Amino acid sequence: MSSAIDLKKVAASDVSAAVSAPFFARGEVIEGTDAVHRSRDLGVNFATPKLELNRIVHPRIEVPPLLNVPLAEIIDFLVETGQRIADPNNTFVQSCIDRMCATHILPRGVLENQVKGAAAYLDKRLLNAVVEQNFADPKALDEWVPHQDYTGRRSFVRAFAPRLVHVLPGNSPGVAVKSIAQGAMVKAINLFKMSSSDPFTTVAILRTMADVDPNHPIVKSMSAVYWRGGDDSVEQVLYRPQYFDKIVAWGGGDAINNVIKYLGPGLQLVSFDPKTSISMVGKQAFASDETLDVAADLASADVMILNQEACVASRFIYVEGGQPQVDRFCERLHKRIVERAAASGDARPFDMELREQIETLMMMEDDYRVWGRADGRGCVIRSDEPVEFHPINKTANVVCVPSLDEAVRYVNVATQTVGFYPFDRMTEFRDRLASGGAQRIVQLGEAGPSTIGNPHDAMYPLHRFVHWMAHEDGCVP
Amino acid sequence: MGEAVERLTRLVEAEDRYDIPFADLRDAQIGAMSERFLDRKGKIKLVGHRAQEAGIGEVRSHEDVVKLLLPHTAYKSYPENWLVQSRWDRLSKWLDTVSTERVTVDKVSDAVDVDDWIGKLADNGFFVSCSSGTTGKSAMLVASRRDMDWCRQEAVAAYSWGSGVKPARDRRIFGMAAVAHVARNLATGEAYTAAMQDPDSERFAYPVPPITVGGLTQMVVLRKAIADGTAKPEDIAAFEKISAARQKAVDEAVGIAARAVVEARHGKIHVTGLWAGLYNVAKAVRELGYSAEDFHPENSIYVGGGLKRAKLPDDYREFVYETFNIRPERSYQNYSMQELHSGMPRCQTGGRYHVPPWVVPLILNKAGDDLLPMTDGEYEGRAAFFDLSLDGRWGGVISGDKISIDFGPCACGSKGPSIRDDIVRYADLEGDDKIGCAGTVDAYVRGVA
Repeated sequence: MSSAIDLKKVAASDVSAAVSAPFFARGEVIEGTDAVHRSRDLGVNFATPKLELNRIVHPRIEVPPLLNVPLAEIIDFLVETGQRIADPNNTFVQSCIDRMCATHILPRGVLENQVKGAAAYLDKRLLNAVVEQNFADPKALDEWVPHQDYTGRRSFVRAFAPRLVHVLPGNSPGVAVKSIAQGAMVKAINLFKMSSSDPFTTVAILRTMADVDPNHPIVKSMSAVYWRGGDDSVEQVLYRPQYFDKIVAWGGGDAINNVIKYLGPGLQLVSFDPKTSISMVGKQAFASDETLDVAADLASADVMILNQEACVASRFIYVEGGQPQVDRFCERLHKRIVERAAASGDARPFDMELREQIETLMMMEDDYRVWGRADGRGCVIRSDEPVEFHPINKTANVVCVPSLDEAVRYVNVATQTVGFYPFDRMTEFRDRLASGGAQRIVQLGEAGPSTIGNPHDAMYPLHRFVHWMAHEDGCVP
Repeated sequence: MGEAVERLTRLVEAEDRYDIPFADLRDAQIGAMSERFLDRKGKIKLVGHRAQEAGIGEVRSHEDVVKLLLPHTAYKSYPENWLVQSRWDRLSKWLDTVSTERVTVDKVSDAVDVDDWIGKLADNGFFVSCSSGTTGKSAMLVASRRDMDWCRQEAVAAYSWGSGVKPARDRRIFGMAAVAHVARNLATGEAYTAAMQDPDSERFAYPVPPITVGGLTQMVVLRKAIADGTAKPEDIAAFEKISAARQKAVDEAVGIAARAVVEARHGKIHVTGLWAGLYNVAKAVRELGYSAEDFHPENSIYVGGGLKRAKLPDDYREFVYETFNIRPERSYQNYSMQELHSGMPRCQTGGRYHVPPWVVPLILNKAGDDLLPMTDGEYEGRAAFFDLSLDGRWGGVISGDKISIDFGPCACGSKGPSIRDDIVRYADLEGDDKIGCAGTVDAYVRGVA
């Protein structure tokens, strides 16, 4: 459905009630209430300006604005942006959080930390480390790097500035900051397609950047807009190799299927796939009451990352032991999840279908045991094989296994992070976990942090973003 | 059956059953739901659990009932793994949590496959119907023998009211859809045939293999194996081959059905099926060079369900009617769902679906957890119903449908509540705007859906 059609259906009252979500097009803020959309999770209306496609596409005849800006200068600019995001007087960020509270399921405190915590990513040492991990020779971003092979053939290679569409996820506002930084460091022309649950953060950050210097090439390289994911009237037009080199997309299902339709020669997909994270707890956890408390606490920390909205948050916990032992673990785990949930002030109700499935299991007492209720305050389900629904909203499924070797078969191509306890058994398992499809193995309780610049989704993303260009220069005489 | 329930369900034979104002029924309906609840709360475990959670000891109002409704998804809350692993004992125990009578777990646990399990359950008086949901997982709905008898009686009575056709065993029935081979469909199919089918000819059965529950679950099983990473390439190839063969049978059936209906064109016929299939057969009939003037003017039609996501031209209804020479007054449409055992026939003049007195309409908010205030005139919300006829399981169900209801009289003159003919599923309205980094392995399984 096009924005123009949307508009006709919008009553005046809807517009006044809607939260305003401006666009950003190559350095300019575009305000307007031409179209009213509904947010995915909470069904809140938000108003956007008309989507003017010509304003968000750079003709290929124009060299990308950031191409000859040194990486060091870009990083300095990002660092300054980070400081301004963290500044409590930044009105763009403050009003962004206010608006986001209307459309997002996460509580205000969590969102505030997300947006501000994201500023921590804009750190000089950190950004340099990311670039150094992604490129064997980061100089290729700044210049044509000379190279000569063993036959004497000479060339120059450049990690040339690409044209990227970033299809941003709706569940983690922090991704916006990261995507802007990464897009800037590869000197890309960036179009950010925002999600309906957060059509604000990206623009708030870009406005903060424009406030630093409205004419900086970094600002001129960025656009952020919203259209409804899958809207053919927009995607059919925009998703073409003449306009973009790569679509950087998060998520799966319809979100990716819509994008896949438009891939072809010249237009590639860099996908951050939808993932499920798990934990594995060895029998060593039962060595004493203390170790059991430690293991349960660490597991609860991994379950509760972003209140279980993130892909790194654990959902299934395979525990090596007999049922009575495992039940003791469950009891402690439940207690810690409830405490963490209460501390975050988040008690969203379950959706009907999930609640129904959990309540059914409550009645199958021989095979399942449930701690807590399907009320959004924390729930643990013990079973002898993983449940079939996706545990979400502070729900952990503890699966009883006689040996962690048995748990390995539950690792699949959707498995991202495996939190492990005890730590000294990790090397014994990592090859089998990788073979099954997993991407990270971490110490239990450490699912969140990762070594700076490490691969994400089994790749070095920045390396894949750029347009690798060769200038062949003949042979040495 | 309690006295209040009996009084309302007996109206199935009453000529004026859709003409009773809702206000006149209110007390009787609440009394009947209360009667059902008092009897079932100790029998249906899930209802007992729900009552306990909500702190409800008796039903005094519509608000009370809302807290006791089961969402349609309750009937697919069993783990699919049990199907994959043939855990009939566990599946039977699960079925027991939604069943009025205690499921005879011991007598059915040794089933060899799902069709055998369902057969054995039927031998013991538990009639299980399955629906294939849009997510692929089948709902399993348990019913009693009394329910099957009721379905036979109610289906034909509703048809007769809605179509204005008195069943007179004077026409040939043309089934134009592959019918799911489940207890309820078989019961109503038999009833229609007994009432309408001319004994001198034979009901035309659509020439495709019947869809059995085993057939429905075969795909589920493979999907699961692919997700788990245990499916071998040749397992997938074998399934693809079966699918291709099925598709071929479906494609060929259109031509066979078209030729058969053309041959039978001089007599009165009754066509039945789903829009997509009917449209395809109608197109084939036109291609053979036949249309309205070649068919009997008293032909009738019964179309079940909506479009089911089929994409058809805007004038698909007219195209079908005009092909088979069906006058508007002989077209029967009915709003119902597998979760209910009663239909809501569409009237001729108002074009609205009429709610019978033994079905209590409860219109909820979109989330399905709150009763909307009853207002004058038409208003929309999530459809939920309490079907007082239901015996083998709980009658209160929250559907996935968005409907517009009017508790005032319809243009056809009937004074009972009626529903506008624009029902959609909430699931179809939800966009595909969902994107996030957290997700399941379902996103990695291609093609088997």
